[in-house]
Amino acid sequence: MLREIGYALTATGLMAASVAYANQNQLELQQNPDFWATQLGNYQGNRFSELDQINRDNVGELRSVWQFSTGVLRGHEGGPLYVGDGRLYIHTPFPNKVFALDLEDEGRVVWSYEPDQDSRVIPVMCCDTVNRGLAYADGRLFLGQADNTLIALDAESGELLWEASNGDHTVGESNTMSPLVVHDKVLIGISGGEYGIRGHMTAYDVETGEQVWRGYSTGPDDEVLIDPETTTMLGEPIGEADLGVSTWPEGEWERGGGAPWGWITYDPELDLVYYGTGNPGTWNPEQRTKDGEPADNKWAITVFARDPNDGSVKWVYQKVPFDEWDYDGVNENQLIDIEYEGEQRKGLAIIDRTGFGFLLDRETGELLVAEKFAPETNWADDYDMETGRPNVSEEYSTYRQGVDVNTTDICPTAMGAKNMQPSAYSPRTGLIYAGINRICMNYEPFETEYVAGQPYVGATLTMMPAPTQEGDMEGRMGSFIAWDPVAGETVWKVDERFAVWSGALATAGDLAFYGTLEGHVKAVDIETGEELWRFKTPSGVIGNVNTFMHEGKQYLGVLSGVGGWAGIGLAAGLENPEDGLGAVSAFSALGDYTKLGGVLTVFALPD
Amino acid sequence: MTVFARACRCTLPVCVVSLLMLGLPLAGLADRITGEAPGAFIVEDGKVDPNTYQGYIAYTRSCMACHGPDGLGSSFAPNLIRVVERRGWENFAGTIASGREVQPGQVMPSFADDPYVMGNIPNIFSYLRARGEGDLGRGRPKIIESMQEPDEADNEEAADVGDDATEEADAAEAETPSTE
Repeated sequence: MLREIGYALTATGLMAASVAYANQNQLELQQNPDFWATQLGNYQGNRFSELDQINRDNVGELRSVWQFSTGVLRGHEGGPLYVGDGRLYIHTPFPNKVFALDLEDEGRVVWSYEPDQDSRVIPVMCCDTVNRGLAYADGRLFLGQADNTLIALDAESGELLWEASNGDHTVGESNTMSPLVVHDKVLIGISGGEYGIRGHMTAYDVETGEQVWRGYSTGPDDEVLIDPETTTMLGEPIGEADLGVSTWPEGEWERGGGAPWGWITYDPELDLVYYGTGNPGTWNPEQRTKDGEPADNKWAITVFARDPNDGSVKWVYQKVPFDEWDYDGVNENQLIDIEYEGEQRKGLAIIDRTGFGFLLDRETGELLVAEKFAPETNWADDYDMETGRPNVSEEYSTYRQGVDVNTTDICPTAMGAKNMQPSAYSPRTGLIYAGINRICMNYEPFETEYVAGQPYVGATLTMMPAPTQEGDMEGRMGSFIAWDPVAGETVWKVDERFAVWSGALATAGDLAFYGTLEGHVKAVDIETGEELWRFKTPSGVIGNVNTFMHEGKQYLGVLSGVGGWAGIGLAAGLENPEDGLGAVSAFSALGDYTKLGGVLTVFALPD
Repeated sequence: MTVFARACRCTLPVCVVSLLMLGLPLAGLADRITGEAPGAFIVEDGKVDPNTYQGYIAYTRSCMACHGPDGLGSSFAPNLIRVVERRGWENFAGTIASGREVQPGQVMPSFADDPYVMGNIPNIFSYLRARGEGDLGRGRPKIIESMQEPDEADNEEAADVGDDATEEADAAEAETPSTE
């Protein structure tokens, strides 16, 4: 079997002999539909399961078989891993406990691990102390701690194998993301875009924790790992050198953000990893102009395609040059094989923060589709498909409106029309399923000063529900949608009271699953969106619904526990745009529906 | 420590006193708590005095990430408008300086090492009291026109900026000359 993987690797011109082991293990595991071995279900980020024991006909009988309280209160993102050893591996927000739970014994704790971390990292985490979960390969679990320590644990015993420092929380760096194992490397990004950090993606050796390469999001080409002669942008070589420096006012790239804190996906055939970078530095666009004019601030809000072996950049696509709204470009890049204009293409689809659904060619980075999935989206009218740049609306340009001017009714909000909650893709329907946010904002930039370790935001914002469109549920702040990534159209949608901040799951049982901020886990008909089943967990769901089969029985596992940016921004309710001045807003407050508490709930059909 | 010094340049009692000396018609304003005690504020037609405004900026910069927009609380940290109503200045300032462990994993961090926050505690206190006792609404307030410093009132671009923010802007420009 080593040889099979070796073949795949050598076929793409890469060394294989000494590197294949971990990669082979993760690939094998994720190709077994009984397992859920990586947070997004597979390298392609599809969150799709071939399992169909739980299906449209019997999902109404689905019930909780056991629950496990993590003992940690704050927002629980990510989900359980199952790799066939009869255990579920879960994690928690800070202090980032790890549990191995016996699936056959109602979640008995086989072992647990709790890192010893400096709690001073907590105040530099912008949006709750969340963590998006463990990675697994070859008997090892990998965890990115809040304090930037990457650790490897022996999955059998919970013993610490190695640890590596990936950043410094005293200068505002922190970690929330799930690492990804590719070949013999474990890849991890960093958080801190609200603290003026300089984002990077780094690879560590799975055996030793030794750093192998690091590619920055901003700065000179040799540190971003770009070659302007060979790295392409929209299918053409970049040409100009060091755009990561020259598209910023003097020195600003050093605190230029571009933090890659979302998900990484990987194409084993092309041998390329894909991820997006976050917002550029301060939220005040005026401080990122050059010679008084908007500057691109590269490579913030950019999709990177990198060679996982040495980090070199194959292509880039900057979704939002010169951000004026905090539209972090970190959303997952779903790798999907589609037919586009009569041709089979290797696609890359994004349900983006910006409200646009993108489709790119993942070999070349060529932009194929950019259409609004959140219909209220108004910051840009559309994308110029030749230049790949948005046609920004002057009315909603916080730069054109100016510093200390409150630009109102911009859609979507800085939370994005979709945030970190990962979408699902069914190769059977060809559709993407995603929980989205239907929220708009007022945004007022102000001058701010960089101080290491201090917030570097430079804008205040207020949020309100997106204007109701025809057919919308009154007061909805979220939806769950089925999106056609090729046609660029929503096929169906279900409105929800609050933003849908949970990861989606699609299955061969003709079902799609998601969670709500009130705490429901829901199953809907994948063809129509019709609700077929729901279960109320003890707290809001911002985790992901994962599924797996053990001893012939299909299970569903989901972490509940409200929090994240949703738990901060929505807890007290939003201002109701319909209210008159001075009226006491009665708009839905999340705090009226759910309180804290991390719980894993495992579901199955009755025997 | 420059930030600290700047933030403290105009403490609230000084502003109120100077306002009195200017002979402005303080009687009849919508809401105010004045005097020597920290937490003084003026709210007039939804606009505020410069220090209360600075308190809003400091709050959004350093407190909002946990305590939610406009002091209203989040899923894990309390509503601070109610907190300042229940607890006095000393308790409020002491908690920011020392932190508080509510229970394991639920921690209010200490800001003793953060000169920006420490220098702005009186302003944050004023802002939160203005939100509660002064009926100040949500979002970023404007500064009462008559309380802006004369050189700012002349400059329309800076009209809505607190004195400290303007100075920060000047400092930022000085540090990054190429922005000009």
